[in-house]
Amino acid sequence: MRNELLHIFRNTPFGRETLMASVYFCKETGTSLRVYIPKFRQFLMYFEHEVVTVDLDRAFLRDPGTAKKHAEEIVLEGGLTPHFIEPKGFTASTLPDLPVDYRYMTCPRTISNLSAKIGLGYIGPRVRNIIRSADFPVFIPTPVYKEWKRIVVFFGGSQNAIKAVQYGIEIATVSGFPLILFTQGEDKDLRYYEDEIKKAGLFEKLETLGFDWLFFDRGELKINLYEVPHDSLAIVGAYGHGVIKEVLFGSKMEEIQTVLPNSMLIVGPNCTPVIG
Amino acid sequence: MKIFIHNLNERLQLVIIGAVVGVGGGVASVALNRALEWGAELLHPYRHHWFSFLLPACGAALSSIFLFNLAKDIGGHGVPEVIYSVIRRGGLLRFRSSYSRLVSCCLTIASGGSAGPESPVVISGASVASNIASFFRLRDRQRIVLVGGGAAAAIASIFNAPVAGIAFSLEAIMGEWTPTNLITIGVASAVGTEVSRLLQGNQIPFEGQPFTISNLDLVACLGLAMFTSMASVLLIRLLRCVREISSKTVSLHWVRAASGGLVVGLIGLMLPSIMGEGYGAIRTVIGGSFSEGLAIAGLIALGKIVATCLTIGTGGMGGLFAPCLVIGSFTGLFYQRFLIYLLPGVHWAGEPYFALVGMAGVISSVLQAPMTGIFLITEITGGYQVLVSVLLVSVISVTLSHIFEPFSVYHHELVAHGELLRPRTDRRVLSELSITELLDSDYQEVPPEMPLREFVELVKRSPYHFFPVIDSKTKRYLGLIHFDDVRAYLFDANLYDSLLVEELMDTTVPTISLDDELTEVLDVFEYGHDSTLPVVHDGRFLGLISKATILDHYRKELIVEEEI
Repeated sequence: MRNELLHIFRNTPFGRETLMASVYFCKETGTSLRVYIPKFRQFLMYFEHEVVTVDLDRAFLRDPGTAKKHAEEIVLEGGLTPHFIEPKGFTASTLPDLPVDYRYMTCPRTISNLSAKIGLGYIGPRVRNIIRSADFPVFIPTPVYKEWKRIVVFFGGSQNAIKAVQYGIEIATVSGFPLILFTQGEDKDLRYYEDEIKKAGLFEKLETLGFDWLFFDRGELKINLYEVPHDSLAIVGAYGHGVIKEVLFGSKMEEIQTVLPNSMLIVGPNCTPVIG
Repeated sequence: MKIFIHNLNERLQLVIIGAVVGVGGGVASVALNRALEWGAELLHPYRHHWFSFLLPACGAALSSIFLFNLAKDIGGHGVPEVIYSVIRRGGLLRFRSSYSRLVSCCLTIASGGSAGPESPVVISGASVASNIASFFRLRDRQRIVLVGGGAAAAIASIFNAPVAGIAFSLEAIMGEWTPTNLITIGVASAVGTEVSRLLQGNQIPFEGQPFTISNLDLVACLGLAMFTSMASVLLIRLLRCVREISSKTVSLHWVRAASGGLVVGLIGLMLPSIMGEGYGAIRTVIGGSFSEGLAIAGLIALGKIVATCLTIGTGGMGGLFAPCLVIGSFTGLFYQRFLIYLLPGVHWAGEPYFALVGMAGVISSVLQAPMTGIFLITEITGGYQVLVSVLLVSVISVTLSHIFEPFSVYHHELVAHGELLRPRTDRRVLSELSITELLDSDYQEVPPEMPLREFVELVKRSPYHFFPVIDSKTKRYLGLIHFDDVRAYLFDANLYDSLLVEELMDTTVPTISLDDELTEVLDVFEYGHDSTLPVVHDGRFLGLISKATILDHYRKELIVEEEI
């Protein structure tokens, strides 16, 4: 897996904000940035067991003459070297395949041009598909560029939440930002969650790094989310439970993304954290 | 269910899932057949009106709008997409491909567009197979075989021709005949055929009358092979030409498709036999009831070529199987009438004989798949007595057309992108390996400011021969030092403190990037006569890659392929 972040550039003001967020993410996590400027309306990502089609709206193809220049300016201004991806594989002449061995990928909340769909509570179906299938986490930045100075990991004890903690440790170590665990206790005390982290062999790393734990054993999650610092990157596990359980009991990630306006790093079920 | 499947032996897994895939392929083709019948009935009353020539244009436009705007799929008949997925992507195909082209193709053909339903059914069957394999979390190699099974089931069920389905899948899609492939694809093909027979009845699509074949007819077949190869080359080249011109001149996809459909509609006013998939026209020829003369037969063959290229080349959805059969049958008919005109005293085998053999010649040449042509014609006509003639014409026609068009109509696009990797070839084996897995990350970095004295001490203790020079501050790769580079200075102790590593390092060594293909990497090794090269990405040194490691992994990959 390459220590790179994949960014699909949209040559619009909204796309500018997203790219600025990607540049900031790369600088803080020591990751290289790879920018893809689409030339076609679709591209494919071949994951291990699924091929995901990403249908782009027209805004991604707008004004190709200035797209590269704009992207270069933003990346250089951020202090990084611009690298652009030229797809090598083509499923059909107008259907390029993008590599999938990246460490992170940036997606806006929706790969759609409708401004009504970039607000809270909506993550588009294509972005969800990528989160479900990818073995890298997906970075969903705020609609307007905002720097983050803290890392908040949402930990509910599941396997996906453990992966989220691993990513949290990794990013906090590289960036030097303080790490905070957020747990909404559900009939279980703090010790249970501590044990889960110890079982995963991560507690020592957390203690060495130093962290705060926002543990709530009462109150609703939506209300407690107010305590999440406004200038933090939220790392959340997603789709860790089966479909039936999610339909019946709902998903924590959905509750969080509906309320929290922060930049988020969503860790899907197939993510494999590469530490170091 | 998944656990049950995973506990089975690998071959048994493939056989069971192959049967499920066969059902999927069979159902897809029956659904398309029924939809086409329904569409034809629906539009029948309008075909006799003055505006009937507009129907193909409307159908093509709707087909294009559905495919691009509603199903969000891409154009093309889809078979190259299946082959690409088998060659490069472990048989992964999108779910939307299982239905998008079926609907689109139905709109094109039912409205009178000149195309066949087979290629859309192939991608549909293959896509169903791919998604079933993904559901059961099978490995890439298993998924590939099942995709082949899906394609075979589709062809087998649409033509009621199980062996042709197997031959098509192995020749055109998989590119190799192996026992594992044959078993799974055979099961899928048989099940697909049975599903079709169960739902539509067991009928031979183009049953002809018996005929007597003389040795003279066999000799005449040599001439027919020339005609069929010419027709195939014309079809392939004209299709490519129409595709290129239309994509450059008209940007709106539905306008492009409609304009092609409009010309087809106008041709259809004069030559109605060229409309639609053309099965009716084939039945007329095979039944020996085509009454028009030599010139009309030739015109229909030519008209069908033009109409097919206009329909498919401008973006209408459909395949080439059925048009090839129509073109082949009329080419055969034209040839037979030409022979009678030339040698009126000779008693030739009937028109149906030459039509059947002509069909085999054209389809074999266009697909560059003689076995598919031979089995298909034999099965869909029930004419085993023409087997020798079909064999002769198919083989000669393929050989002749290969001179002008070395790749099949399906492979041409892949060749253009350098993606046609045949099984068990160097490029195919190398494509299975990545630079990341060949990377040797066991090395010792040295800074550029290190004096020779320190470097010599390091070399004494180190098991390595190559030392990457990395800038201590920026961590960027600067050059490479091989043990041989310092040999000349080893015995001159005066230089030990005056020479630095940066003065000794070789900055001309070519570097490899993670984005490079292994075939390119091997070219770099050959060109520079190097044995080991540094892998540098974004200026950062990642490790070394050696010829020996590549060969070692190449050998292991070959062993894995042979075991399979």
